[in-house]
Parts: sequence; structure tokens; C-alpha cells
Amino acid sequence: MDDLQFRRGIYADPKTTDADILTAMQEDPSKQKFAQELESLDDKILNALNVSVPEDLSEKLILRQSLASHQQQKKRSRVKLAIAASVAFVLGLTFNSLQFSNAYTNVGDYAIAHVNHEAEYFTNTTEAHVTLTALNKKMTSFNGSFSQSLGELMMADYCRFDGMKSLHLVFKGESSPVNVFVIPNSDHLEFTRSFQSNELRGSAKNFNKSHIIVVGDKTESLQKWQERIAKNVRWSA
Amino acid sequence: MATKQVRYEALVKALHGDLYRYAYWLCHEKQVAEDLVQETFLRAWRALDSLKDEKAAKSWLITILRRENARRFERKRFEMSEYEEATITDTRSTSTEQEIENHWLREKISSMPEEYREPLILQVLGGFSGEEIASMLSLNKNTVMTRLFRARNQLKDALDEEPKKRGQYNG
Repeated sequence: MDDLQFRRGIYADPKTTDADILTAMQEDPSKQKFAQELESLDDKILNALNVSVPEDLSEKLILRQSLASHQQQKKRSRVKLAIAASVAFVLGLTFNSLQFSNAYTNVGDYAIAHVNHEAEYFTNTTEAHVTLTALNKKMTSFNGSFSQSLGELMMADYCRFDGMKSLHLVFKGESSPVNVFVIPNSDHLEFTRSFQSNELRGSAKNFNKSHIIVVGDKTESLQKWQERIAKNVRWSA
Repeated sequence: MATKQVRYEALVKALHGDLYRYAYWLCHEKQVAEDLVQETFLRAWRALDSLKDEKAAKSWLITILRRENARRFERKRFEMSEYEEATITDTRSTSTEQEIENHWLREKISSMPEEYREPLILQVLGGFSGEEIASMLSLNKNTVMTRLFRARNQLKDALDEEPKKRGQYNG
């Protein structure tokens, strides 16, 4: 091994374990001396590089990490809470929409269902006892009134008409009671002018802010009822 | 979780000194070095699961630290300034011969080009082999060995001239 190669090797790494360099060192005392010089230079360099480390650095590092991971945990639990809240919210919405969803798509279907449901409470022989004044008092919440009595009125009351506030009137008819509904205009029920089931027929008419629906049996002239209503009803707004 | 904490604390205790010194020689400022080490260990904590081999921990941490240091320059390019000799001087009064020599050598090391200084620090302070340094700095091994040779050569030449200088320094 020539001297230059040896020196390069030692300069690059004084603690080398390279076999060629080690044998060369053993054979030549001057090389050995040179290697020792370099090793002592390295000791000096190491001494110089060994700057003092701040005493509390390791404590600081551990503290900062535990603060950071604590914050991360807090953030994580906040995320969990948010997820739980969202799930509860969606469950609530689903429950609500199942509970209060509209099973009927048009006014006719609902009117017939409503009449059938309450049919047992009314017969054509029930005594009529509702006066025009009482009826008009109830009509005020629809901003309407009737100028004359439409017929023998057995019952007049507010009813839920597929979730909407409506006025349900039951008149004495030819052979069975005639039901008249006053309902506000709605978005979710389709307006149908006329409709029927096996026993019942219905007719609906649109006034400015309300619909009036008449449901009676097939012997009843709905046309006559609607004309009488249209002639007598007054809308104030 | 607990074991991760234990691993982390062990890592901090064993290596924070080496990391700090390495950071110091990268940036020459005590405060910046401390910040770099803090940032490095915080990142290390987050990625601790990816450290499989404990023996590789030191080079892993140094790699993170070098990246952090590089990021510092990306962030604050406008603050980049020439290294000032005054900032590296040890403020304690240098009394013994040994300390004077240390002080003098530190200046020499600081003013050395970074490409020579970094491999030297990794070798002397970090105890890494030529191959390890080469892979950490993404260089080939011959380049690393040449730079190590030049770094020591510069320091040795400077030291050989030193006694005259030191006379003036003390005189």
C-alpha cells in the first residue's frame, strides 16, 4: 500500500478496520505514528463537537409530547361525540319521517279514508244542531264565511286532514251524511277534481286559498252541493 | 399506548443529546437547535409505529431532523443569513488550554463548508460508518470518504499552523 493511499484511508476514517491499512500500519512505525496523530485529532474534534446540551431538554421533549398527545385525544373524543350526535340526528330524522310521512298522495284518497274512518259516528238520523253562526265562527280561521245555511249541519269541527288543520262538516244528505272539508292549499297532496270509491264519490273545488271537498254516497248530487257552496261562501282575504 | 410512551421516553433519554448536538452543528444557534430537536421528536412520536428496528433509531431521527432543518429554510427563506461567528462562541470565559483549543476548533468546524462538516459530524459524533452516512445524505460512499478526507485534512493543516496563532491569541 503506498503512502498516499494509506493517508487518504486514515484521513477519511481514523478508526478504520480495513485489513490492508491495519497491516500497513503494523509494518511501518511512521504510519503508525501518523495514525495515532489522526486519532488524537479526532479526539479533539469530538471534544469540540461535544457542545453542552440544555439540562432540561429531555424533560421538555417528554412534556411537549404528552401535551400534544393529550390534545390529539381531546380532538379524537370531540370527533367521536360529533359522530354520535350525527347518528342520533339521522335516527331522529328517520323516525320522524316514518312516523309523520304522508301516506296519501292526493286529496281524494285521503278524504275518502277520512270519511270511512269516521262513518260509524254519523248516521243520517242524527239530530242536526249546529247553527250557521257557530259554523261561521269556525270558518274565520280560514278567512271565510257562509251567507246562508247549506243544509242541516250535524257536526262542525276542526280535524287533522293529513296533518293540516281543516274544518270538517257533516250534513244530512239524501240517504247518508254528506261530508264537507275545508282545507288549506297543500303542497304534498295532489289536488283532484273528482274521485270515487265503491260507495263514495267526491268532488273538490279550489278557492283562492282553500279547497272545499264534498264527499257523499253515489245517490248524492255533488254538483248541487258544490254550486250551493260556491254561491254562499265569502272569502275575506 | 403505554408501551408507545415507554418507547418514546427511552428514545428521548438515549438520543436527545446526540440529536441536539447534531442540530447545533447544522444551524449554529442554541435556540434553533432546541426547536429543531423538539419538532423532530414530535414528528417521531407521531410516526413511532413506523420505527421497527431500534438500532436504526438514531439515523431515523437524524433523517427527520435534516428534513425539518431543510423545511426551516423553505419557510423562512427571507431570514436566511450568513452564519455569524459571534453566535457560536462559548460565552463562558475560556480558561484552560483545552477549552481554548476547543473554542478555536469549533470556529474552524463552523466555518468549514457544510458538505464537509456534515459527514464529519455524523462520523465523529454519530459514530456512523461510511456506508451509513452515504445513505443518510444520499451520496455515494466514495464521495463521502473524499469529503471526510478533505474535512480532516483542513482541520489538521489548520491545527498544525495553530501554535503560532495561539501565541498571538493569548499574547
